[in-house]
Amino acid sequence: MIVERQPAALRAALAETIVGQERVIEGLLLALLCNGHVLLEGPPGLAKTLACRSLAAALEGDFKRIQFTPDLLPSDIVGTRIFDQRESAFATVLGPIFANVVLADEINRAPAKVQSALLEAMQERQVTIGPQSYGLPDPFVVMATMNPLDSEGTYALPIAQMDRFLMKVNVGYPSREEELRILDRFAVADTQPVRAVATLDDVRRWRVAAHAVHIDEKLKRYIVDLVAKTREPSEFIDYGASPRATLALAFLARGRALLAERDFALPDDVRAVAPHTLRHRIGFNYRLAAEGISADRIIDGLIAAVPAP
Amino acid sequence: MAQRAAAALALLVVLLAVAPVIGDAQALQRLTVLSFDLGTDTPRPRAGVPFHLTLTLRVRERFGQIANIDLPGLAQLELLGDERETTTTPQGTQYRETVTVVAQNGGTLVISPGTLQAIDARDGKAKQWFSNGLTLHVAGAPSRAVYVAARTLGIALLWLLGIACIVALVVLLARRRRPAPRPVPVPIVPPPPPPAVVRTPRQRAQDALAVLRAERTRSAAIAVRAAIWRMVGASDGETLADVLRRTDSHDRVTRELLVALERSAFTYEEDLRAAIDDACGALERYIEDVA
Repeated sequence: MIVERQPAALRAALAETIVGQERVIEGLLLALLCNGHVLLEGPPGLAKTLACRSLAAALEGDFKRIQFTPDLLPSDIVGTRIFDQRESAFATVLGPIFANVVLADEINRAPAKVQSALLEAMQERQVTIGPQSYGLPDPFVVMATMNPLDSEGTYALPIAQMDRFLMKVNVGYPSREEELRILDRFAVADTQPVRAVATLDDVRRWRVAAHAVHIDEKLKRYIVDLVAKTREPSEFIDYGASPRATLALAFLARGRALLAERDFALPDDVRAVAPHTLRHRIGFNYRLAAEGISADRIIDGLIAAVPAP
Repeated sequence: MAQRAAAALALLVVLLAVAPVIGDAQALQRLTVLSFDLGTDTPRPRAGVPFHLTLTLRVRERFGQIANIDLPGLAQLELLGDERETTTTPQGTQYRETVTVVAQNGGTLVISPGTLQAIDARDGKAKQWFSNGLTLHVAGAPSRAVYVAARTLGIALLWLLGIACIVALVVLLARRRRPAPRPVPVPIVPPPPPPAVVRTPRQRAQDALAVLRAERTRSAAIAVRAAIWRMVGASDGETLADVLRRTDSHDRVTRELLVALERSAFTYEEDLRAAIDDACGALERYIEDVA
């Protein structure tokens, strides 16, 4: 049941523009295939915006970027009603959230009310302005970014809000070789435009195909075991991942199988997406920070402790 | 006046003369002596062999300590040790003093009584009590060699007796636990196991291929996958990526085999037959390759 135009082509198109950052590219594609949203955490200057913009361009879709600031209002995102004096009537102006790919830059810099408006829109896939509800475009993918280095004047996202993101990808610095390639590619010319390799209809078809990817019973039990492992008493964990994580793991394993042009998922698919699925859904306690241990190290330990089928 | 002074001086002289007697009488304990005995643990001690003399005093009063007891004269004996014990009960006090002595020469030995000085509680007068005396006949000293031999023999006998007791106890316990005797069947000696044959990877792959061709099911595919994974050194709980990471990247045939087996283990039912065909083909290529 392999569809004609493959999502792998989209990956190849993005890789032509973005050097390295395979995890970011794969995260964006998986979010697109699984109809979810991605939280990207990493320092500035790591091509997060470029990746989102390139994805929208490769799909011939709309791209909007919203810079989150402390004075941002919900209406700045979803839109508002303005009185038109010439027509003597209220006219609705839709906000920047009405796009196929939305980059919510530094989401933790806006107050909780604005974050809540965005996250509700992500969940419901529609917004209400005045008496009227407006459906968001399909596909609709939000890529939210957070800067882990500069936490002053930020509003930390509550864990319930974080849970709405299908996955959280940590964006790291490129390797030396990748950075040399970045120099070669961007030193002379400006950002190379991404060629469109798929349409929004293709994305909708891929989603149907992703839903049809087979997950064996052994693999389902493996997913449940992984999530259950996060709920076991631990020195560093206050609470484990929710059943939403179980669903997310299955969705993402299917999406990854489709990206690999398979119509059945493998244990490798589950294991590869598990860190990005569990990272923001586990409540770590203060001991983790006190002892200087990274959350990813704990998550890697949890994943390694569950034998794959 | 001179007569009065002379009388006072005479009274002072009398008082000074009596004072030590009064003092001694006050230092003595007031006792009701019930018995006062001297005994020995052997009536016929041997020269050179230590023995014990025991002086026992029982009084009605309760004291933590009894004073003014003198041991009998032990001039003919060598004193090796002295142990005193005072026991107080509601019935009174028992004082026991045990001295360890050794006679150096044989012959008759007369031991004088022990003495006790105290105020008799019955009449309030200071008295001296005597225990009984002892007359012992000391035999000559045994030769050293005989003594050592006897001692060694005694120790050996004690050891033998102890070992015999332990053996008897073990036998007794074993008999108690042993079930009722049954007729013992003639033991059937199994044939010795054939020597372990180390099968080559090619033979293992041939086995796997035979299994997969004979039974084209999911369970057979999973079993073959496990066998091939063990063959390439994978452990339980690893994923295909882990195994491929360790496999030589130029070993295309092995990698294709592992991927094909993974597909047959996890694909959907409609694809299973094709996946097993693919796995059989990969096994055949592997067998050719390792040949």
